[in-house]
Amino acid sequence: MDISASGGVRSARERFFRLPTLALVAYALVLPAIALRAAFVIGPMFQSIFLSFTNKNLTNEGRFVGIQNYVRMLSDETLINSFGFTLGYTAAATILETVLGLLIAMLLMQVTRFKWLTNTLMLLPWVMAPLLAATVWKILYLEDGGILNELLRTFGLIEGPVRWLSSPDLARISVIVTSVWKNLPWVALIFMAGLAAIPGELQEAARVDGANPLQRFWYVTLPQLRPSIYLVLMFRGMGEVQTFEQIAGLTQGGPGTATTTLAVYAYQRFFTETRYGYGSAIAVLLLLLTAAIGGYFAWRLYKANR
Amino acid sequence: MSGTLTFRPSLLPRGFARQTVLTLLLLVFLLFLAFPIYYMVITSLKTPSEAYRVPPTLWPQNIQFNAFPYMLEAWGYWRTLFNTVVVAGVSAFISTVLGGLAAYAITRLTFKGRTLLYSLFVATIAIPGMVTVGPIFLAYKDLKLIDTHIGLVLVFVAETLPIALLTLFSYFKAIPRELDEAASIDGSSIVGTFFRIILPIALPGFSVTFLLIFIAVWNDFLFAFILTASPDVRLLTVRLFEVPSPGDINRIPYDLIAAGGVLILLPLVPILLRIQKQLVEGILAGAVKE
Repeated sequence: MDISASGGVRSARERFFRLPTLALVAYALVLPAIALRAAFVIGPMFQSIFLSFTNKNLTNEGRFVGIQNYVRMLSDETLINSFGFTLGYTAAATILETVLGLLIAMLLMQVTRFKWLTNTLMLLPWVMAPLLAATVWKILYLEDGGILNELLRTFGLIEGPVRWLSSPDLARISVIVTSVWKNLPWVALIFMAGLAAIPGELQEAARVDGANPLQRFWYVTLPQLRPSIYLVLMFRGMGEVQTFEQIAGLTQGGPGTATTTLAVYAYQRFFTETRYGYGSAIAVLLLLLTAAIGGYFAWRLYKANR
Repeated sequence: MSGTLTFRPSLLPRGFARQTVLTLLLLVFLLFLAFPIYYMVITSLKTPSEAYRVPPTLWPQNIQFNAFPYMLEAWGYWRTLFNTVVVAGVSAFISTVLGGLAAYAITRLTFKGRTLLYSLFVATIAIPGMVTVGPIFLAYKDLKLIDTHIGLVLVFVAETLPIALLTLFSYFKAIPRELDEAASIDGSSIVGTFFRIILPIALPGFSVTFLLIFIAVWNDFLFAFILTASPDVRLLTVRLFEVPSPGDINRIPYDLIAAGGVLILLPLVPILLRIQKQLVEGILAGAVKE
């Protein structure tokens, strides 16, 4: 991230840019952004961590209870299930989005027809609120008299109605499909930009050496695309692990607790049951997961870019 | 496919059927993207009884628009739309300006702790909204900021600053530093350089950043839902949860829900159609690889 220029101007400019007043101007420019971020993101994060060590709730100011909330998690079956579901959901949605997004990006670079239509249709799910996307899919998933079941029946693929949202296993898949639909366009856009940045000579050289398309994909495209792949895994991984809106719109965590993500569970404890201490502890667990995913892929991205 | 320098990797061998297969695959993908939206739109045009008909119809038998005036009335749509445009517009404006100033300082000026500040700022992206919304809610209760637009704007500015910073960062980096140097040699101050050189060149970047944030606020549910309560204050997306069910309360009014969805999506569509290319550019700029 060294952005100093080279050449003769450098020393004069460097001196100018290092004047103490200049540093003050710089701090003044950065300050409002930092202050707001500190007040509304970093501060509340520390408050959440602090709350997670108390038993505060709506009627009780609460006192310090050490790691009691965290110990309780170990015997909270709903929490264990939602932790597992959050991990599985995140892995499945992120991997599906990455793999399909890459294939679609390659497809879109091959077929140059319908460009305007393609761009518009790609941006529509992207521009939709996650809650709206969930609502749209909820209409499709309607079990008795829903269009998805009707289409499948017409093509003779099913007999009775598929329980898209009322069977626990299928509900888990249905919420993943909704998320993939919503986020696939963004992933494909990132990969298209990544693919466009790969020098064409490499591909030509591999072809001349007699590599078949699959080998060229594996040995030329994928390694060159590593930064884009880590970028997508980082942003989508962090996005999926926090999933709240899709669940709120589609299943509200059900049936039972089958699709309760950590974010949904934290919401239920904190806001519905007003158990601020335990709710915060679940939120902190989510924070650790998000930071781990973001940190890991940021590190891989950093290494891939060097 | 050869002859161009653009890299177009493919898994299929070249041959007679290739273009056909690829076009078919593209059409399947487009259908997958479009169908849910198509079905929402036509559901909003169905009569309440047709919205429940088994088997469901792929095209409304009697197109009617009754769901729309009903929803406009039930939601107090114009009031909510006004709230949403104001809150999203003000938040996006402030966030773009503050993010722009910070991005300018970080890309252009040398000062102690610059890299550290930038890294820390970017690292805070990993803090989930669900972690911060609880304490904000409790603080807002004490400060009487619950159910106010000022409270929402403050949170939205803070939440969207990383979008502004990352997007504008990459727009600014693309502007050659020789330009500011020339300006500073000509005696232009830092602030003068920003307004005379950077701002005009990066103006498209600023407008795209504004729109990206505007859309993000428009679509937010978590904060907008938790920090507001009354229909007069609430923003559009949240009101998807407030669709009335006239008649049989056990029947979910799909035609009305679909109409509500259309009313939320529709105002954004002109933006998509008019500045498609710039939006994509902005999306990519925000995903800068740092």
